[in-house]
Amino acid sequence: MSALTDGIRRVARAPAILVGVWALTLLVSLPMAVVLRGMLAAHLGDSLAADTAAAGTNYDWMQEFGEQATGLGVTFGPHIIGFAAVLDNLSAFMDATSRPAVIAGVAAVYAIGWLFLAGGILDRYARNRATRAYGFFAASGVFFFRFLRLAAVQAVVYAFLFGALHRWLFDRLYPRMIHEVAVERTAFFIRLALYLVFGLAVAASVTIFDYAKVRAVVEDRRSMLGAIRAAVGFIQRNVAATAGLFLANFTLFVLVIAVYGLVVPGGGGAGLSMWIALALGQLYVVGRLWVKLVFWASETALFQQRLAHAGYVARPQPMWPDSPAADAIHE
Amino acid sequence: MTPDHPGDRSELRRHLRTAALLLTCASPAFAQPAGPGELRPPQSPRNANYTIAAELDVATRTITGSEVIHWRNITSAAANDLQFHLYWNAWKNARSTFMRENALGGGRGGAPRTAGEWGRIDVSSIKVGGIDRTASKRFIAPDDDNPEDETVLAVPLAAPAPPGAELQIDVAWTAHVPRTFARTGAINSFFFIAQWFPKLGVLEDSGWNCHQFHAGTEFFSDYGVYDVSLTVPTGWIVGATGVRRSLDADEARRTATHRYYQEDVHDFAWTTSPDYVERIDRFTHPTLPQVEMRLLLQPEHVDQAERHFDATRTTLKYYGEWYGPYPYGHITIVDPAYQSGAGGMEYPTLFTAGTRWLAPAQVTTPEGVTVHEAGHQFWYGIVGNNEFEDAWMDEGLNTFSTARAIAQVYRTNDLALRFFGGFIPWVLTDVALSRETDGNRLAGYRRDATSDAQSTPSFRYFPTSGGSITYNKTALWMNTMERWLGWPTLQRILSTHFERWKFRHPKPQDFFDIASEVSGRDLGWYFDEVYRGSGVFDYGVQQLTSARDGDLYHTSVVVRRYGDATFPIDVLITFRNGDRVTEHWDGVDRWKLYVYDRAAQAVAAQVDPDRVLLLDVNYTNNSKTLEPQGGAAAAKGATKWIVWLQDCLLSWAALV
Repeated sequence: MSALTDGIRRVARAPAILVGVWALTLLVSLPMAVVLRGMLAAHLGDSLAADTAAAGTNYDWMQEFGEQATGLGVTFGPHIIGFAAVLDNLSAFMDATSRPAVIAGVAAVYAIGWLFLAGGILDRYARNRATRAYGFFAASGVFFFRFLRLAAVQAVVYAFLFGALHRWLFDRLYPRMIHEVAVERTAFFIRLALYLVFGLAVAASVTIFDYAKVRAVVEDRRSMLGAIRAAVGFIQRNVAATAGLFLANFTLFVLVIAVYGLVVPGGGGAGLSMWIALALGQLYVVGRLWVKLVFWASETALFQQRLAHAGYVARPQPMWPDSPAADAIHE
Repeated sequence: MTPDHPGDRSELRRHLRTAALLLTCASPAFAQPAGPGELRPPQSPRNANYTIAAELDVATRTITGSEVIHWRNITSAAANDLQFHLYWNAWKNARSTFMRENALGGGRGGAPRTAGEWGRIDVSSIKVGGIDRTASKRFIAPDDDNPEDETVLAVPLAAPAPPGAELQIDVAWTAHVPRTFARTGAINSFFFIAQWFPKLGVLEDSGWNCHQFHAGTEFFSDYGVYDVSLTVPTGWIVGATGVRRSLDADEARRTATHRYYQEDVHDFAWTTSPDYVERIDRFTHPTLPQVEMRLLLQPEHVDQAERHFDATRTTLKYYGEWYGPYPYGHITIVDPAYQSGAGGMEYPTLFTAGTRWLAPAQVTTPEGVTVHEAGHQFWYGIVGNNEFEDAWMDEGLNTFSTARAIAQVYRTNDLALRFFGGFIPWVLTDVALSRETDGNRLAGYRRDATSDAQSTPSFRYFPTSGGSITYNKTALWMNTMERWLGWPTLQRILSTHFERWKFRHPKPQDFFDIASEVSGRDLGWYFDEVYRGSGVFDYGVQQLTSARDGDLYHTSVVVRRYGDATFPIDVLITFRNGDRVTEHWDGVDRWKLYVYDRAAQAVAAQVDPDRVLLLDVNYTNNSKTLEPQGGAAAAKGATKWIVWLQDCLLSWAALV
């Protein structure tokens, strides 16, 4: 719990990071939303159908639009309304549902953005003091290529988890397990158990890669395979602590989702309620981002707590020369 | 015969019952007082009467059966042979017409099957008038000449059966119950047994109407009396067409024989399982006959019993009031086991509903399917059209009726999405499903509108899109008729059709003739469009301008027919001062111009403003306004969507 509270404090002390990752999220998604808006506006044109679509949910028009939609448009449907959006994405994650190529492309760009920022974020949380923009981006730049190498390993592991393992669990094992099951509740609990198995595998992988990144930053590791080995070693030596911390962070994740579930509006109108809904949506996004940052910050805190010197960071903080004239002095 | 030989004893009982049935059918009117399963006076020709004895071995999933058919030739032509449906042979292998069509539609018949999960029916003996004709039987494939298809068995007669001739046919068979295909089969200890006995086709003046089993269509047979004895393990609950008249236990063999009886039906289906929870309730109505409702529920759905009864009551009430009374006095509702694949199917006096473990109250599951299948008692059970050729006559009329009945009672009918493997429902209270577009399934029709002309025999529809033409298109053109002619007229059309064709086999033209007769106008052109054609309806406003010209505003409206099909429609022009002008357009030309010079500017033009033509596949283009809200609506849609997208990105970012 001390790692969690420490992590929460570290995130709180660096609000710019939270704002930054929210800006990244917005930056990546906004152009797509603008494109979609254009598609919707083009389909509605000057039609009176827009009146009902603006005032509430025109499901009839939505279906008509969906019939002729391509690209981003195919993702526009009733599943985006209110809390259904969250369930849709969680369900797609657990069921490894493929998304249209354009969404996958956006997700890839977003992931690269995170890879770039990860070094700076972890460095800031590890130092637990302001690193300023130059320090932040210097760390981002230093670790970006290391984390790209780590991402290659992650890609292989996740491809295995969401490809081979998921297929085996849900396309082969699950049908076999429920072949003669004539009670839906039983089938559901079997699926739930398999979700748990799959979820644990994903959680274990995420945890290992998280600590690999933490160790890479804190110990200035260059070998990502070495960082993974070190992460596994750390987790093995601190199973209860790392698992407990993961559960605590996961609880935060569930809480954020639950709170959003309580306040999220449904279809709504096009006036003020639209902006309120958007604001609540963005607060939720900020909440989700905060949870992700708390994950990293608390994992960093836990690792540092177990070191001989708390707050140790191997890599010196980059210092810029006082002025361009400093170069001339040396010459 | 001794009690040690139950087979002999049941054989004797069967013969006695056969004799009794013969005497009954031979008399011009039933002499006995009406009892369970009886209808007085006879409602149908009763020309195909079956006395069946069958035993289910649950361990081997095998049915051993024998039947005595008393068949009468009620056509004006002689029969040279007999033709039987052996539906279960469609599931003998992957080479049957059913399986080939299933593959054409992209299906594989469900999960991969082991050898024991396929089905089949083997006729071991067939006698006609006491003469063994087993050796002469042969499989035929009248629809596609597929030599691998064994779903129609022909047995040449020793001598032609002239009009009015009566034949006694004795058949013995064994059948292997499959893992469910087409709502028939078994899973665990749940058995649903339909289309399970050798069944005669329908002899018409032109010959036998006995189609092979097809992936996309259902069944057709003559009305008669069914007296069926079913032997199952002791303690297993049985539900079946008709009413149980007796239950004889054989303690030595630990079996029980349930005898069910029903007059004036054209099929017999049954189910058995030790797990059913049984509930009984009653439908009462000031003017309609009382009906006992028997519900066989899965234990995990016991809390949904009242929902099943309510939906069945809704059907009996509204269909009864609109079309005609349900005459049988009893109905069995079967809630099928999970994964049984038996849900949502109709049989005489019995149907399968279908629900989920988590079934939110504001969503019409199980009500929708219950009303639909109970409704088939009227459209299929009582009015017995040929489902092979004209499936729309029961499925389409019933889809329309289902949506109409649901709309009377279930005012909260919200859209639910299902997540996590389909187990977890989420109700969108913002999206109330409408009778007209959702109940009549416009979205499905829109996708497949041109796939087939409805007049094509149903079994020749393309497998994956046939349903849209059969169910959706009919429901939409029926609802269009309601909006165009008015419900009182359509109700009289349907009730007249019901009254004239109950316990008989109507053809499409019979319905069309009644529609024109009752409405008092020639509707032939309409049926040419919706039934004989496959063109789409799509009207729209192409242009709306309204600009000041001197003291007046010059307004011009161009409406256009984008689709091939035609229908007379209204055009409404609304002016800023509140004036409204309605034009009546015959909808034949490709476009039409309306011009107005008025003191007020026009603000909107709409084609078909009351949405009479529900078949219009693109309603968004039906209107134009000079005060468009498209931008605002699109912005709202985009702001909802961006949160979904961001959440989606965050889900995957968890892995970074």
